[in-house]
Amino acid sequence: MEMTHKPFPSPTKAKSVAKERPRGFNGHRHDKYVAAAFLGPSLVVLGIFVFYPMLKTLYLSLFLTNNVGRPTVFVGLKNYGTLLASSAYRASFQATLIYVFSVVVLTLTVGVLLAQAAVQKLAGIRWFRTIFSATMGVSVSVAAIFWLFIFSPSVGLLDQLAASLHLPVINWLTTPGWAMVAIIVSTVWMNLGFTFLILFGALQMVPTTLYDAAAVEGASPRYQFLHVTLPMISPTLFFTATVTLIGAFKSFGLIDLMTAGGPNNATNLMVYQVYRDAFLTGNYGQASAESMILAVVIAGLTWVQFKFLEKRVTYE
Amino acid sequence: MKRIRKLWGWLALLVVGVTLIGTGWATHQAAVARAVPHRTKILFWHEMTGPAQQELLRLVQGFNRSQTTYQVVPEFEGNYNEAVQKVIDTHGTTASPAVFQSMDISTSQLAHTGNITPVQKYIDEDHYDLKQIAPGARAFYANRGVQLSMPFNTSQPVLYYNATLLKKYHITPPPVAPTYQDITRVATQLTDRSHHKVQGMTVEIYGWLFEQFLANSGEELANQHDGHTGTPTEVNFTSPGALTAMHWIQTNLQRGIFVNYGAGANAQSNETASFLSGRLGMFLQSSALIGQLTTGNPDRLGISDYPHPVGKRANGVAIGGASLWLSNDKSAHVQRGAWDFIKYLMTAKSQAAWQVATGYLALNQRSAQTPALRALFRKLPATRVPGNQLRATAPNQTNSGIFLQGLIQERNLTQTAMEQIYQGADPRRALSTAQRAMTSYVQNNNRANGYQK
Repeated sequence: MEMTHKPFPSPTKAKSVAKERPRGFNGHRHDKYVAAAFLGPSLVVLGIFVFYPMLKTLYLSLFLTNNVGRPTVFVGLKNYGTLLASSAYRASFQATLIYVFSVVVLTLTVGVLLAQAAVQKLAGIRWFRTIFSATMGVSVSVAAIFWLFIFSPSVGLLDQLAASLHLPVINWLTTPGWAMVAIIVSTVWMNLGFTFLILFGALQMVPTTLYDAAAVEGASPRYQFLHVTLPMISPTLFFTATVTLIGAFKSFGLIDLMTAGGPNNATNLMVYQVYRDAFLTGNYGQASAESMILAVVIAGLTWVQFKFLEKRVTYE
Repeated sequence: MKRIRKLWGWLALLVVGVTLIGTGWATHQAAVARAVPHRTKILFWHEMTGPAQQELLRLVQGFNRSQTTYQVVPEFEGNYNEAVQKVIDTHGTTASPAVFQSMDISTSQLAHTGNITPVQKYIDEDHYDLKQIAPGARAFYANRGVQLSMPFNTSQPVLYYNATLLKKYHITPPPVAPTYQDITRVATQLTDRSHHKVQGMTVEIYGWLFEQFLANSGEELANQHDGHTGTPTEVNFTSPGALTAMHWIQTNLQRGIFVNYGAGANAQSNETASFLSGRLGMFLQSSALIGQLTTGNPDRLGISDYPHPVGKRANGVAIGGASLWLSNDKSAHVQRGAWDFIKYLMTAKSQAAWQVATGYLALNQRSAQTPALRALFRKLPATRVPGNQLRATAPNQTNSGIFLQGLIQERNLTQTAMEQIYQGADPRRALSTAQRAMTSYVQNNNRANGYQK
């Protein structure tokens, strides 16, 4: 019965299996063929759709491209130099960091709170669980229209509410600072459904015996949350943080539909700049350089997460 | 056992159902294929939405019924910006269109791709009377005497004002060809006399409108006479015409007679909504909005020409909109059919119907005599103004558009500068930054295409 809770063999077991077959991969020829047969198709697919485009992007980023998109003049690292020297690009970089950091922190905090609230055994709690995870079923375009109605300066819900309470009316999407707030709020809202569902699942897996033991010791609910709940769900929290971080760097739909990078480039995030340069102005060389920088930044931050945050993760 | 038999029953039903649906679909497809016997397919890409799309599809139907050789197949391709890239990326494949609509500012780029057949070829072959098409519109899509594409949906930037509100507050309307000062006067009076219930005026943060301030001042935006005599190598956003216009806007913002609605599609719908509800007195915008501003508007709509600086004659503004292009990757027979379709769209009758349904201008000079357009002018006399403005403009090098690649980038950059100016930045500084970025873009682009070392 114990095994059913652990779908994967424990590390010690895996090691003992390896010991029984010390030659493993180098051993029988037959094994190699089998391995190749299993890995081959996915390697081919990855090669065509991931590695080749990546190398091609790197190649394009070293060129100027003509008006049909062909690389014509080799400029070395000049595209990168231009970008790093451009104050507009640095502003875009800064805006991206602010956006990503806020989205990750808010998504996780609100997600944990909602999940913690939803594990309580109360009457009608299933309704709330459905509502909290509902944004998973909402498409980006629908969400954008929904939020545009809320933020609209003339007919918007927020500004009508503000007017009736005699509060100052804010031009949400046309004032640089508020536009950033608006897209952060809508992105967090979009993310919540998925985050809630994952964290809710993790919370339900925490054995109740731990809470019983803590209660016997006289631990307060706050102490229980910080020292029992959080460590127990930390692998899931880490997973969600990584996924949300990468997702936030790649946010596109809401920005395109709500602000199109404006006002005054305040919400012109790095990935949106790539889209603008490649598909609006046909500047593929520059756009490729921007993609490479973005890929390096995402990879770097993910590495930092694994290096420093994963240490704090407790695996059972 | 019973359960298994039941399962078999369901399975059989499923097979029968799928077969029936499949046969039905195949029959339908065959019928569709038979419906166009021996006609040559002409693929037509367009970017029209709403009422303009409906009218365009009606015109396509009209062409298909008018002859039996060709079948024009219209396909909607999303927005203008994305369509240009799609046209370039699909060229030479079977997916590419024979005839396509592309926006005003893609003209130089498309001409330089070498992917198109200039319509001039067929104009010469057919001895087509080009004079019947409005000269101001034609000039925009011509380069050194060669007509590259056929102007189609065409608009002019104009000044809209609420004539009913002006009358209510006893304000003399702006003249037909107003100066910046004339507009400031009306905006001030409107704001003061309505005790700030009516906002005086606005100008959307929009690169197209920025270009028009220069055109109407008779100043170049790019060297080589806006690209009409050679490939431009630098741009000028800080000419007196540009600075005067930006100072005018900034001063009026500070005086509180000008409201900033921002940039983009939301800005346009917000300023239109405010104007229709009588909270905004005047704004500069495309004449293509006329239809929207006259239907369901309880107030009388006033229209004037685009404003010009004090002490200068209005040089005339460039058109906006899109034109029709022929791809050169299709057989001569297909290209001929595509040209016939263009000719059909440009007849006096088609153009009149087009203006009545959409607000875009009828470009055929004989359209004015058609019953449809005469009825429109009788009903709404103000709708004559944009057409008159277009006819009054003698095309020259500064009011016939800018023959430069990368105008999308130019609009992004000037729009960013405008946003900064509207928020109080020094116009010369904001525009200089944009100018440097654009000149560097132009020079890189020239190098990449081999026009410049």
